[in-house]
Amino acid sequence: MSRIRRRTALALGAALWLLSVPAACLFGPFDIGPAEVMRLLGAAAGVPVSGHVDPIRLLVVGDIRLARVCLSLLVGGGLAMAGVVFQGVLRNPLADPFTLGVSSGAALGASVAISFGVTLPAAVAPALVAGLGVVTPAALFGAFAALSLVLLLGTAAGSFRRETVVLAGVVVSTFLAALVSLVKALDEESVSSIVFWIMGSLQGRGWAHTAVLLPPLVLGLAAVVRHARDLDVLALGDTQASQLGMRTGYVRCVLLCGASCITAGCVAVSGVIGFVGLVVPHLLRLVLGAAHGPLLIGAWFGGGILLLWSDVVARTLLSGGAELPVGVVTALVGGPFFCLLLQREQRRERP
Amino acid sequence: MVLHTAPCEAAPVSCTDDTGTVITLEAPARRIIALYGAFNEILVEMGQSGRIVARTDADEAIPALAGLPAIGTHMRPNPELVAGLAPDLILQMEGRREAATSVDALRALGIPVAVFRVASFGDLFSVLHRMGTLTGAEQDAAALEARWTARLDTVAGAIARQPHDTGTADGKDHTQHPPRVVFEVRYPNLLAAGADSIVNDIITRAGGVNAVQQPGRVVRLNEEELLRMAPDAYVYQYGPMNPTPVAPDQRPHFTALDAIRDGRVLKVDEHAFSRPGPRSVEAVEQLARFLHPAAFDTNTTTARN
Repeated sequence: MSRIRRRTALALGAALWLLSVPAACLFGPFDIGPAEVMRLLGAAAGVPVSGHVDPIRLLVVGDIRLARVCLSLLVGGGLAMAGVVFQGVLRNPLADPFTLGVSSGAALGASVAISFGVTLPAAVAPALVAGLGVVTPAALFGAFAALSLVLLLGTAAGSFRRETVVLAGVVVSTFLAALVSLVKALDEESVSSIVFWIMGSLQGRGWAHTAVLLPPLVLGLAAVVRHARDLDVLALGDTQASQLGMRTGYVRCVLLCGASCITAGCVAVSGVIGFVGLVVPHLLRLVLGAAHGPLLIGAWFGGGILLLWSDVVARTLLSGGAELPVGVVTALVGGPFFCLLLQREQRRERP
Repeated sequence: MVLHTAPCEAAPVSCTDDTGTVITLEAPARRIIALYGAFNEILVEMGQSGRIVARTDADEAIPALAGLPAIGTHMRPNPELVAGLAPDLILQMEGRREAATSVDALRALGIPVAVFRVASFGDLFSVLHRMGTLTGAEQDAAALEARWTARLDTVAGAIARQPHDTGTADGKDHTQHPPRVVFEVRYPNLLAAGADSIVNDIITRAGGVNAVQQPGRVVRLNEEELLRMAPDAYVYQYGPMNPTPVAPDQRPHFTALDAIRDGRVLKVDEHAFSRPGPRSVEAVEQLARFLHPAAFDTNTTTARN
């Protein structure tokens, strides 16, 4: 992979990422033209604009649509970057952001909150009650609880072993999924809401959700970016990495915690959106090569763009304000595309 | 005062349920299990509570049923418990696939199961008639329908006669056109009552229009579509489907709606509004008083008499 080709691909990704923001704000039940959308986005950003600004349209474009666009870029980018890290650290092409049971933990937290209507005292968290309800905080708590349990089990012997961590993730995931089923069985009225949440959606999400996402996202990104080059060393194998002076167990732990932190934040605000973290890294490897630095940057842009446009499809395909779960759309859009690319690559590699 | 007729005990009875199944009983049902709470309430209102032999977990709150054994949930009744009580008729509301599976299982045990669909007062009256037929209490059913119809007519008359200037606090005249109402079934991930729900008919009979005209009992709405609809009034329910709803004026984006800003918001009991039965009439009365307060002002009309 030539450096020029890689840089061109990343520049194109960044440009598309930036252009997607105003473009995605064009879509929605309100019929608002491109010029008006740009004017409203300007008004929302505090730029003086000419003429009367309709407060409802400003709310629709500057608050509902823009907030959702920003959230989908953050969630998609975060999940794809976490995917790169999980696949690199666990050296498993099928690893994804949910390998360590984070999604099952979040799903259980959200299910309990949806089903039992758990409430937080207003004095404790008035902003959460006003802006988010309790589902998102409960999902975040569940995600971190599950992650802690997996890491505790996976490193119980005092050393880090990939196989043990993956096994612990699978066991905890399965156990928590059974608890989600138990919640659904006990409360039939909530089944559809729980299922819809688990399928992943950005419906009704706004700036308050972005505020919840940012701390774990920033914390996780900091850990991942700091050790991005170490991913390339880990790919050489444990023996060689150790010979190069790397504390492999420590680095793996930091990277896994960072990627899980990102995943926990993403899944708490959006529900379980599969596919992005699994496939985007593979897809980008075909374009950018295997070096993890460019791959992480590309994943940030690629994951964000994929989720953003999948969300546009999810919220506009059905009429009357009804929506599809965005997790379904990411799979439907990305799956066949990935298969085509994979086939083309295999044909190219044949002698 | 309600006079209950003595059911004819010996003659076979028959009716067709809403799945097209012909339900034939050798004699009017004496041991009934209703898997849908509102059907139990109808039986109680008809004076037939003595025939109910069990209840679902969800119906403990109905006083006449509190002491009866429970046989599981409304969608997944326990076939063993049901069979052990030897019912001669089971009533179920048409709904989710899980419920259909349990209906098939109960029918396989040889127990007649009547499945009804209720999306309007017309459907409700039809179910009432058929329940009267199956229990041999046609006259009680007819008397109950007459009482419900009279109450609904009273509401309709009051709305038709209401003065045009409501003099509401916000200074707006809400009576020039039927107020457009959004009925929230569940939030967050907003679910609203659709055109095929009993709520749709409740809104219409209360002198309003359901702003959500999409087909289906419930319709998933995003908040942008809600803003586009700009309803005149917002009704949200509390109950098993919406256990702890946050007040709409506390939610992001909702305060942009005139209905929320003007305080045209009503919190209602899910059991009255979303479960077609005797309380559906009460729901019409409550909503009509909310949408058309002047029509029910005791100083200007006699609607409530």
